Amino acid sequence: MTKPGPGTTDGAELAAGSEVDTADRGTGTGEAGTDLAVHLDGITKRFPGVVANDDVDLRVERGSVHALLGENGAGKTTLMNVLYGLYEPEAGRVVVDGTEHGFGSPQDAIDAGIGMIHQHFMLVDSMTVAENIALGNEPTKWFGMAVDREQIAREIDDLCDRYGFDVDPEATVEDLSVGVQQRVEILKALFRGTDVLILDEPTAVLTPQEVEDLYDVLDELTAQGKTVIFITHKLEEATHAADAITILRDGESVGTVAPERTDREDLAERMVGREVLLEVDADPVTTGKVVLSTRNVAVEDARGVDVVSGIDLDVRAGEIVGIAGVDGNGQAELIEAITGLRTPDAGTIAYEGTDITDWSRRRRIDAGMSYIPEDRHERGLVMPFDLVENSILGSQRSPEFAADGRIDWTAVRDYTDDLIDTYDVRPPDADADASSFSGGNQQKFIVGREFERDPSLVIATYPTRGVDIGSTEFIHDRLLELRREGVAIVLVSSKLDEVQALSDRLAVMYEGEFIDVTDPDAITEEELGLLMAGQQVDETGKGASDAGTVGTNGGESR
Amino acid sequence: MGKRFRRTREFIGRHPRAASLSAVAIALAFLWATPASWQTSTLRLAVPIALAAIGGIFAEKSGVINIGIEGLLIVSAFSSIIAVYWLGDGGATMGVSNLWWGLLVGILVSVLFALIFAIVCIEFKADQIIAGLAIWLISLGLAPFASRIVFGSPNTASVARFGSVTVPGLSEIPIVGYLLFDTEPQVYLMLAGTVAGWYLLSRTTFGRWVVASGENPKALDTAGVDVRKVRYAAVLLSGVFAGLGGAGFALGTLGTFAGGGDTAINGRGFIAIATYLLANYHPVGAVLSSFLFAGLNSLQTALQSAGYAIPTELIRTIPHMSVIVVLVLVGRTRLPDAAGDHYESGED
Repeated sequence: MTKPGPGTTDGAELAAGSEVDTADRGTGTGEAGTDLAVHLDGITKRFPGVVANDDVDLRVERGSVHALLGENGAGKTTLMNVLYGLYEPEAGRVVVDGTEHGFGSPQDAIDAGIGMIHQHFMLVDSMTVAENIALGNEPTKWFGMAVDREQIAREIDDLCDRYGFDVDPEATVEDLSVGVQQRVEILKALFRGTDVLILDEPTAVLTPQEVEDLYDVLDELTAQGKTVIFITHKLEEATHAADAITILRDGESVGTVAPERTDREDLAERMVGREVLLEVDADPVTTGKVVLSTRNVAVEDARGVDVVSGIDLDVRAGEIVGIAGVDGNGQAELIEAITGLRTPDAGTIAYEGTDITDWSRRRRIDAGMSYIPEDRHERGLVMPFDLVENSILGSQRSPEFAADGRIDWTAVRDYTDDLIDTYDVRPPDADADASSFSGGNQQKFIVGREFERDPSLVIATYPTRGVDIGSTEFIHDRLLELRREGVAIVLVSSKLDEVQALSDRLAVMYEGEFIDVTDPDAITEEELGLLMAGQQVDETGKGASDAGTVGTNGGESR
Repeated sequence: MGKRFRRTREFIGRHPRAASLSAVAIALAFLWATPASWQTSTLRLAVPIALAAIGGIFAEKSGVINIGIEGLLIVSAFSSIIAVYWLGDGGATMGVSNLWWGLLVGILVSVLFALIFAIVCIEFKADQIIAGLAIWLISLGLAPFASRIVFGSPNTASVARFGSVTVPGLSEIPIVGYLLFDTEPQVYLMLAGTVAGWYLLSRTTFGRWVVASGENPKALDTAGVDVRKVRYAAVLLSGVFAGLGGAGFALGTLGTFAGGGDTAINGRGFIAIATYLLANYHPVGAVLSSFLFAGLNSLQTALQSAGYAIPTELIRTIPHMSVIVVLVLVGRTRLPDAAGDHYESGED
């Protein structure tokens, strides 16, 4: 361990107070006496050039929720893939239910009662819930000549009753919300007789309400004797839902703690290896002239339904305007209209005083509009291109890189190396394809590219999606730095704490309209949640929100 | 137009029983009103198209687009004829008519070609469209070439064909009896193959796996099923169905194999692809639309012999045109999500 500070001493410190750590101290003395569902003992897993797991111990008690906490690339998923039989470790033992196993494939792990729910659901969208749940494990009748659909339906009904799920087995998966799809995945694992359920970043795709529901499901599962291990990089989730938290950093375990014996600051420090500022310091705002101004913007979808209507928005130099809302309330379409990816069906968009409603995307980029897209695979990067090529997407014509119609690749490479260095993209390999990077590192790279364009307006949609807290802190700092430099910023995010902490003004979008524009400091998270659900806050709340809009444009709240 | 289709679909959704009853009534009236010779000839012409379509459905549903199905029809038709010729025209081997041995040989050769295609696509991850075209082009050259070596001409000698088999009793049923129960073995095989194909795809474990393999192979893999095995099985099965279609057509309807130009198969494999796209991968729907195209073909032959010269070329565009029309107006054909994609376990 080269870094100073917390590290090797952690185990001892923790062991003093925590009963979970008592188990940790007993490593090597055998499993006798403790009721461990899973015991990973000294797991080491190497990939070419990287040690993903270095002598990691994990002890998971039966009937508990165990969180595996760490930053992107800390080795959490690798460790779970070892347990699930996807990887074979170079060293170490996998002990399930007191028996040592050498899993050669996921099938072996499934047979031993281990189920894993991946971050990207493994569901066949066009098939029904029942077909998906039984897939690969179909009970048959008539000597294997037919799938026994009645039995599948019966078993699913039983599971739903037992765990309090409300899932229609005949529904087609593509018609279900993400939260319900996740429940289908859980049912799929239970259908296979899973006792130990591994969830990889289960909340990454859920709305706040769905996250609460998931916590209830986890409680129900453990109440019925199942064991849950979930991977996360979010501190709140670990402290809120877990009975024990094991923290991984750079492939090593930095200890196991009980959530009631720790706090967020402590966990963050262990995760990152240094002190992390969880609260953002936003200086008071000193705004300049209006950079972006929309008037009465409306967008129709393919069916002719208004998905955005009557949006008036002014963003001044040096301020961050947040747009909060449940996904699918028109944020995406509004942003597309502003960035020029879609022509609004009504209204005007002005940029630095000029009407740009009819401007092409290219002209908008050249004028200094930066855009961090919502979907980094779809719009942020060309996945089979390397980072050098990706780094000039959007500025491929700028004189800095292109002279006489040819691209100066040497200049581009230098620029890419700078980006990788400044934004801490790992591994720092400019020649690697974008697709080979983890989501968090892809995101850091996109953020870097868009911020370094020298913009006067930044449209940031979900800028920290899938990014770990160390990098999130960095991206937030950069956003605030740009704001100090007088850049106008529109921030769209579904993370309430993020929009609330960073925004100078906060617009809440519901069914295509700004239901309210408010001062983010004068509103509680609960009130914000209500607004996002389309309910007006009561009189006192409204008073606060009116105060927030003083000095800006009126007419936001219909 | 689009609106009318939607309304019809809504009606069918609301009154399934009324819809199927009226469909049966229309079909019976149609059969009653049209000449029996045309119907019989339609069924016989539908054999290669319908069976190749069912085979193509299995391959494509599993994620492997088998555009080489035309080639499989060619090699199975040719090899079945030559097997009968070598074994002895009109004779029997080990107590079984040489025609049946010819049918078996045709199926085996088709499966062999399907295996080569599967290895190239699954093992070596070749582009499925290019590999499929290669199978077609190789067959298109190989069959006349082999015929030239054996017979000195691209056309083979003629052999005796399957005779019709009458099912006592059932063939007496009015309107449909003579059509379904007094016909040739290859037509029985087609009808049985239709039911078997539908059952296999929609009711068995294997069918579920085939669909999952074409839609989301990773989901199937994580569920503990070997995607490669499923895809191999599906492609080989497409070889079995196409082989049955090609050999059945050659031995039951043609009695010879003409190797000139587009060969005796004459694009029927491609029509089969159009057929199953039209039916949105439903085996029964695919067979019904193959009746439509075979019926037009048979009608054109009848009109021509009656002195109305309708160009064959024009008639042959109908299947492909109708696919485009259906795609535009109805737009219900939905390709499997992973069709054409390679899958390797453990890769992200």
